[in-house]
Amino acid sequence: MERRDFSFVALARPGAGRDKKTWEDTVVEQNAHEGLIGARVRRKEDLRLLTGRTQFVDDVQLSGMLEAAVLRSPVPHARIVSIDVSEALEHPGVYAVMTGAEVKEAVSSPQPVIWRMIPDQLIPDGYPLAVDKVRYVGQGVAAVAAKDRATAEDALELIDVEYEELPAVASLEDALAEDAPKLYEDWPSNVSGSTTIPKGDVAAAFADADVVVTESFRFARQTGAPLETRGVVATWDPYTSHLDIWLSTQSPNLARDLLGEVLGISVDKIRVRTPDVGGGFGNKFDFYGEEIVAAILSRSTGRSVKLIEDRMESFVANAHSREQKIDVELAATSDGAITGLRATVYAVLGGQLGTVGIGPCWTTAALMTGPYDIPNAELSVVGVMTNRSPYGSYRGWGQPKSNFVHERMVELLSRRIGMDAQEIRRKNFVPPDAFPYASPVFFYDSGRYADCLDLCEKSVEQAGWLERRDKARADGTAVGIGYSFHVEITAFGPSRILNMAGLQHAGFDEEVVRIDSTGHVTVYTGQSAMGQGVQTALAQVAAQSLGVALDDVTVVVGDTDTCPYTGYGTGASRAAAVGGGAVLTAATRLKEKVLRIAGQILEASPEDLVVQDGRVSVTGAPDKSISMAEIGDASYRRMNGLLPETESPTLEEREVFDPANVAFSYGCTAVLTEVDTETGEVRLLDYLIAHDCGTVINPLIVDGQLHGGAAQAIGGALYEELVYGDDGQIQTTTFMDYLIPTATEIPPFRLEHMATVADHIPGGFKGMGEGGTIGGGAAIAHSVEDALSDYGVSITSLPITPPRLLAAMRAGKDNG
Amino acid sequence: MTGKVTVTLKVNGRTFSADCEPRKTLADFLRQDLGFTGVHLGCEHGVCGACTISVDGSTARSCCMLAVQAEGTEVTTVEGLASDGNLHPLQEAFWKHHGLQCGFCTPGMLAAASELLEDNPDPTADEIREGISGNLCRCTGYQFIVDSVQDAAQHLRSTT
Repeated sequence: MERRDFSFVALARPGAGRDKKTWEDTVVEQNAHEGLIGARVRRKEDLRLLTGRTQFVDDVQLSGMLEAAVLRSPVPHARIVSIDVSEALEHPGVYAVMTGAEVKEAVSSPQPVIWRMIPDQLIPDGYPLAVDKVRYVGQGVAAVAAKDRATAEDALELIDVEYEELPAVASLEDALAEDAPKLYEDWPSNVSGSTTIPKGDVAAAFADADVVVTESFRFARQTGAPLETRGVVATWDPYTSHLDIWLSTQSPNLARDLLGEVLGISVDKIRVRTPDVGGGFGNKFDFYGEEIVAAILSRSTGRSVKLIEDRMESFVANAHSREQKIDVELAATSDGAITGLRATVYAVLGGQLGTVGIGPCWTTAALMTGPYDIPNAELSVVGVMTNRSPYGSYRGWGQPKSNFVHERMVELLSRRIGMDAQEIRRKNFVPPDAFPYASPVFFYDSGRYADCLDLCEKSVEQAGWLERRDKARADGTAVGIGYSFHVEITAFGPSRILNMAGLQHAGFDEEVVRIDSTGHVTVYTGQSAMGQGVQTALAQVAAQSLGVALDDVTVVVGDTDTCPYTGYGTGASRAAAVGGGAVLTAATRLKEKVLRIAGQILEASPEDLVVQDGRVSVTGAPDKSISMAEIGDASYRRMNGLLPETESPTLEEREVFDPANVAFSYGCTAVLTEVDTETGEVRLLDYLIAHDCGTVINPLIVDGQLHGGAAQAIGGALYEELVYGDDGQIQTTTFMDYLIPTATEIPPFRLEHMATVADHIPGGFKGMGEGGTIGGGAAIAHSVEDALSDYGVSITSLPITPPRLLAAMRAGKDNG
Repeated sequence: MTGKVTVTLKVNGRTFSADCEPRKTLADFLRQDLGFTGVHLGCEHGVCGACTISVDGSTARSCCMLAVQAEGTEVTTVEGLASDGNLHPLQEAFWKHHGLQCGFCTPGMLAAASELLEDNPDPTADEIREGISGNLCRCTGYQFIVDSVQDAAQHLRSTT
């Protein structure tokens, strides 16, 4: 385990080529911004969404289109003895039936696993449909294309599969047990791989420690559950081999490359179009077998094939996430300095590796020191296969568990040494003058953590929570306040370093900004829109950079034939930062050309020109001006005598931005909570986040992202759990069993902002799409513990359901 | 499958008549046969509320109704909320307050909020939360939806 596979610290030198002085202390207040960057403007996306004029993937209708359905395994672990599809093929309205073996025959390679952080990890070949063996309930076994979905589903019932059932490896404990049945017979065990991230001398830290705190944490299986399920419409022409695919995805460029890899065609023949996407949350980042199945069915039938998963399928076929067991030891001095952290993350993987492999669980380990300067660490991750659905992406991507661990350990240390937890946080924070800071893996670029904690505490006081808690307690009600502090990795990421880390893909972003012949602006982006407001955000950046009105900017997304390439996809909180940065640079360069042209026409030096509201004028001589429309016309149509001889026609700039480093946002969450001590029910009364994501492009969008992220944190902390029985059967496949919070469970939110810019990103932007999700669980746990301080409750697992909390209260009483 | 039946109903003020299988849900009928794709399907088991529409003046989950049950009814979908190019005050308020992100739950949310305001023109924040608690939103965390509905209520009160 003493291996260091790679290190961002060793590889990344974000300080190179920039002025160290500007890295630090580059602090601007959001309100100091003038213009559209920082403006709370309503979104450009909304009119269509509000009036029902959208096109989600299930709204795509093509001539002669068929609809498909997938037969899924009812058993967790079995050999497929035989599949008889003859009756299904005879069914009226059925065009094609495919088994796993036939799909395997039709592809060039197995389903890609793009995150390979562990060099010697055992990565089994997985195919779009099961071949020979099924390894989880819900794994696709066969697929039907028919005249409509109902007919396809009818035909599924006519497929006869004979299974030879094998003992199910239903849980982590089952998988690690001696003599456990093996998912892959040729492996030595059910362990897919393990690795350790070291820092400093952890053995010495523990040997010298005044205090060692030990705990084990458990996280339930959860899923992003976007309200729109996943879907695809594929048209694969059997004569030209062109594949035209509509996909509800966050990563169209990645999907295009992976479609090419799996189907064995060059990417010029593949067009991925992304319609409106009804929420992604990471689930739609990953690349699934259904995409391939639809394409192959299309080719074999010569027709377009639509495949939309229903909600029950979604609960087994969509990426599952969060499930981990983490054993932790923390070394500290008696005055609260954390000197060492040792942890093992058990990744409870499924029956196959998904697109991102062990990635999220590795990230849990990699970011486990959080905002704290912990000199010695040994952070291990062990990937364990079980007969559960494959593990994949969900907002936070491992970080909610890192956060829960380091924040819970701070609180446990606080109890042990009798020192206020906030003082422990302050004492151990990476100080502002230590940036760029080398954490065990990543470079943290900038931050003012203590200021953020202060802001949060001050806001809690101002909101009157302390009085509310006192009053409630006097009335005999169990009310508590809890805090957590989080960091969030964003602006993902430097391509070559990601490659060295094991990512089989890049992290750069490319943006195109064009002014047309009417002087209006179009931004072409490879980033995906899935409700996070990326069109509005990029339009704001372009509009301000060019000096035009927001209404004059259109942002085009969702078509690999017309939009540029972005590495990775729209995940890892990268679109605003790397996309915004690239748009800013491209637009700024484009503005220079506009000024050169205007300068010639106005007979003025470009330095003496200003652009405002789409009009270029000479400083000090406002009547001497020209509109962007006139410049557009001179650049595309009537250029003789206007467009300088030295300038080429058209107005367009393209920028490829490969960031030197990721950027870290951060925040402090506080929760006011009431617990019903009779029922164990937790009710959140108020919720506050103090947050810093660098330069804010649109505060309205940022607030919405924090609210939505926090709601998912609340769901994860209190309600959501994909439950598997001992028999390996999933028991939660409807919204009646898997509890997404409604408006009555979610409290009002209060937000406070500060802005410490990322100066290696043009514009100083950092991402923030996941921050709300990361810090919630620990803060809620702490508020519950505070409310139940009389009971000595210790929260070590999520979600905190009423039966678990009542058990923890009983255990606390027994211990105390 | 079995033979088709003809269903005639009024949607957003216009009468439609189409043949469908008796097993077809009203949601699928509206989406696939009549082209009202503003009706969204998030769960098809009556929990998420994305498919909520108005049938004869009351909200209904169109995924849990058969098309044949809607024979002779008057239906309003999100496409019928704005009129003559003017947004409904709820739509204006959702836009202003960022009451939507991906927009998938929005048609159902607007239908639920619309009925809520008809029943209770001056709801408290808690009453709004209760009123929309049959509609799941996975994006917004509800705060801005509550703000939107409250603002729309105020606007509607001041103009009627």
